[in-house]
Amino acid sequence: MQQTTLPMKPVKQGSMLWRRVLQHRYLYFMLLPCIVFFIIFNYIPMGGLLLAFKEYKFNKGILGSPWVGFDYFKMFFNTYQSKELVRNTLIISGMKMFLYLPFPIILALMFNEIRNKWFKNVAQSILYLPHFISWVVVVGLMQRILAPDTGLLNQVITNMNGDGSTFFMMDPKYFYQIMFGSHVWKSIGWDSIIYMAAIAGVNPDMYEAAKMDGASKLREIWNITLPSITPTIVILFILSLGNILSAGFDQLYLLRTPGNMHLADILDTYVIRVGLREGQFGYATAIGMLQGVIGLILVITVNKISRKVSDTSLW
Amino acid sequence: MSKKWAKYFAIPLMVAMLIAGCSNGNKNDKASPSASAPASGTASVSPAPEGKPATWIADRKIKGLIFMGTDDYTEDMNPEIKAKIKEQTGIDYEIEIMKAEHSIDGLIAGLAAGDLPDFVAFYLNNSGRPEMPVVLKAAREGMFTDLTPFLKNTKIFSKYLQEDFLPLDTRYGVMFRPEFNGSSYFVHMNINRQAGYDTNKYVGGPYIRKDIAEALKIDPSTIKTSEQVYELAQKIKAGNFKDSNGKDVVPIGPGYWGANGREDWEMLFTDLMWGKQDQRINMTNDGQILHEAETEYAMKKVGFFQKMLKEKLISAEMFTMDESRTSEGAINGTWGIIANTHNYQDYNQDLHYLPLGPLDGIKGPYKMEVSFKSGYSAWAIPSTTKNPEDVVKFADYLASREGKMLWKYGLEGRDYTLGQDGNPVPKQEVIDLLANDPNEAKKLGFKGVNNSWGDILGGTDTDSMADFGEMEYGDKLKTDATRGQLAIDYWHYDDRRKEAVITDTYTPISFLGEFDRSTELKAALDNYNDSLIRSYYTKSTDEAKKILDSALKQLKAAGLDDYLKLITEKNKDPKTPIGFRVY
Repeated sequence: MQQTTLPMKPVKQGSMLWRRVLQHRYLYFMLLPCIVFFIIFNYIPMGGLLLAFKEYKFNKGILGSPWVGFDYFKMFFNTYQSKELVRNTLIISGMKMFLYLPFPIILALMFNEIRNKWFKNVAQSILYLPHFISWVVVVGLMQRILAPDTGLLNQVITNMNGDGSTFFMMDPKYFYQIMFGSHVWKSIGWDSIIYMAAIAGVNPDMYEAAKMDGASKLREIWNITLPSITPTIVILFILSLGNILSAGFDQLYLLRTPGNMHLADILDTYVIRVGLREGQFGYATAIGMLQGVIGLILVITVNKISRKVSDTSLW
Repeated sequence: MSKKWAKYFAIPLMVAMLIAGCSNGNKNDKASPSASAPASGTASVSPAPEGKPATWIADRKIKGLIFMGTDDYTEDMNPEIKAKIKEQTGIDYEIEIMKAEHSIDGLIAGLAAGDLPDFVAFYLNNSGRPEMPVVLKAAREGMFTDLTPFLKNTKIFSKYLQEDFLPLDTRYGVMFRPEFNGSSYFVHMNINRQAGYDTNKYVGGPYIRKDIAEALKIDPSTIKTSEQVYELAQKIKAGNFKDSNGKDVVPIGPGYWGANGREDWEMLFTDLMWGKQDQRINMTNDGQILHEAETEYAMKKVGFFQKMLKEKLISAEMFTMDESRTSEGAINGTWGIIANTHNYQDYNQDLHYLPLGPLDGIKGPYKMEVSFKSGYSAWAIPSTTKNPEDVVKFADYLASREGKMLWKYGLEGRDYTLGQDGNPVPKQEVIDLLANDPNEAKKLGFKGVNNSWGDILGGTDTDSMADFGEMEYGDKLKTDATRGQLAIDYWHYDDRRKEAVITDTYTPISFLGEFDRSTELKAALDNYNDSLIRSYYTKSTDEAKKILDSALKQLKAAGLDDYLKLITEKNKDPKTPIGFRVY
């Protein structure tokens, strides 16, 4: 029998890729809607960023409109409100990012320790519910509860022989408490889900070993649960930094009153009020772009730092 | 590694930019302000084809996109009325109302999207309205058709070209702006045929609960000053009056329609208002134009409101309460005095709330002010519309008596009969249906039954009394008191109307669009409004003064002085007189 040896064909990297794609075609097919979604809703709109450098003309479209360079950015920083807007945005988003961070983690740890399944389910459902209520309804409820004289809180204060006429929504000294309290109430349940999932992934053997070593419940949480979910916490924190200049439009827009306007007016509300409502698309885009670019820089920087000081990073 | 990431990121971004950038890029490129208009004076009225009525225009569809609220206009037209329009004009008419939280948001988005039908319509009371800079930008950039050549060949709209028909603001501020050299890109609507013509007899402003006024033995018409309002509020509080739920009455509550956070309720404290509350600019006796922030009135108001709030004589939520609660308070009688309501509202047809005042102003006793003529909305034809003259002709048909009869009174035989004087007489069954089942009546599809589609293009050259022998639909059939009549009589509307001052002016903020720092100044003016309300809630006048001084500083930094100089100059020009408070 004659033996024939076929010469080895050099395999191109590209064809290998296609072969792999073909091999896993069903998985790629399942991925397709997701890719299409991101292209349509996240990448194509990015083209509109060009508007930040153009004076938009209705009849010329984005490409045809004349260039104005960095005029809108200069215009924004020359506005007397810019400092106040940036300061308000940073304070509010800082509170939501840093101050709020432990709340859902603590809630997830608490849920994890509940042994009664029925109670756990009920408690979880109640705490998830606010996530599905729109800010319009939430702020409407707050207006009623916090109304001067007739509101629930003022009625309680009156019954305790206090002055029940405080107009909480108008008084700037209560603004941060109201803003932060409502944010926690609305978001804590939903945001705790991801930490619960991370906790569920912790190896139970570690708890058993700790128990055998005589560790208390608190010690278990401190030495096992928290270190195990740290990567999740770090990654979520890094991702949230991208929104440092977006402090939550819906909530702030609705919570604003003349009394707290100097604290509650943020970049997002300014973009709507001055940029879009007056048809200044370029100006609105420039401010929006500023928010995005600063967020991106922060994410990249913090990710780099995190990679250096720990093993956790986005990439 | 970083290069690889850069590549992954850059390629989709570039593709995205290309795709997005290309969109809309070629639209309207050829459009110039007069691209689709025929040469001036060359448009001709073609005779109706044989066998067609004289009102025939063309066998085509005309679709309009309406950037106004569904409270004011209706897009559901009655099929029989649509068929009648088709029979009369050949036009298959359709409108779509763009729903948006604020109508101006819809307008901006619609214009930016560029995909516009045969015509667009939008709110435009005067050239000072926020919509004006937006539509002006669109006109300057060639988005709209020059309408002047088409208007010349119409029966009704050609009146707009006469010297004395239009009010000054409509003529020079809205339609025939000097910059357009005779061209016009929007048609301002709701212009009355006669100067100072009343379409309604509105008795608006503060109203007091009748039983309270009687119990306190007070004649509401004797209340003339804010100090008297204060004393009256004290008496109401001391009187321990209750609402329909048995709860304590709040002496002064917000207006029926809710507060927007910037409403000052000017008619309740008129002698403390420097300018009208939508712009707060007025002229001193020696001819100097000032903003309220530069006068003593700001602090006067602070003192007044702080006193009222401290003594709980006004609702603490006077400036922020939403309509659901303010109207509930009015209906339940929770407010001893409602800061603002009017005589046409259902809940007060028995006049259990009486008109209060009217209060004096800063210059003296109250004077009724009536506009020479005033607009309300406008329409424009995109430069992409084919045969735009058809749209103008169709608008002219709707503005004619025949057109108005159709959209105001419905179909002859079905909805009305013609009286001996040739005027329509609504059928009693339609009037009854309107009273008993307004929603069903609305389906009949004309304005008399609250289905408003016709006035978008046809509501102008208005003189219902001359055209139809009555001011309001069905007035002649009414045996009981006409809607709102009790307040009209109580307030002596007709007597006051005879003494009214007729004005033909621009609002002080009409020229913001011409001002180079309009964005900054607009933001500073809004900031002043917020600061003023905020200062009412401070604990001391010093704190309030600090807030108001800061707001004034911002106004100055945003160019207030230069803007006031600009309107001082405009006021000297007989074509652009500014309207200030008349009392």
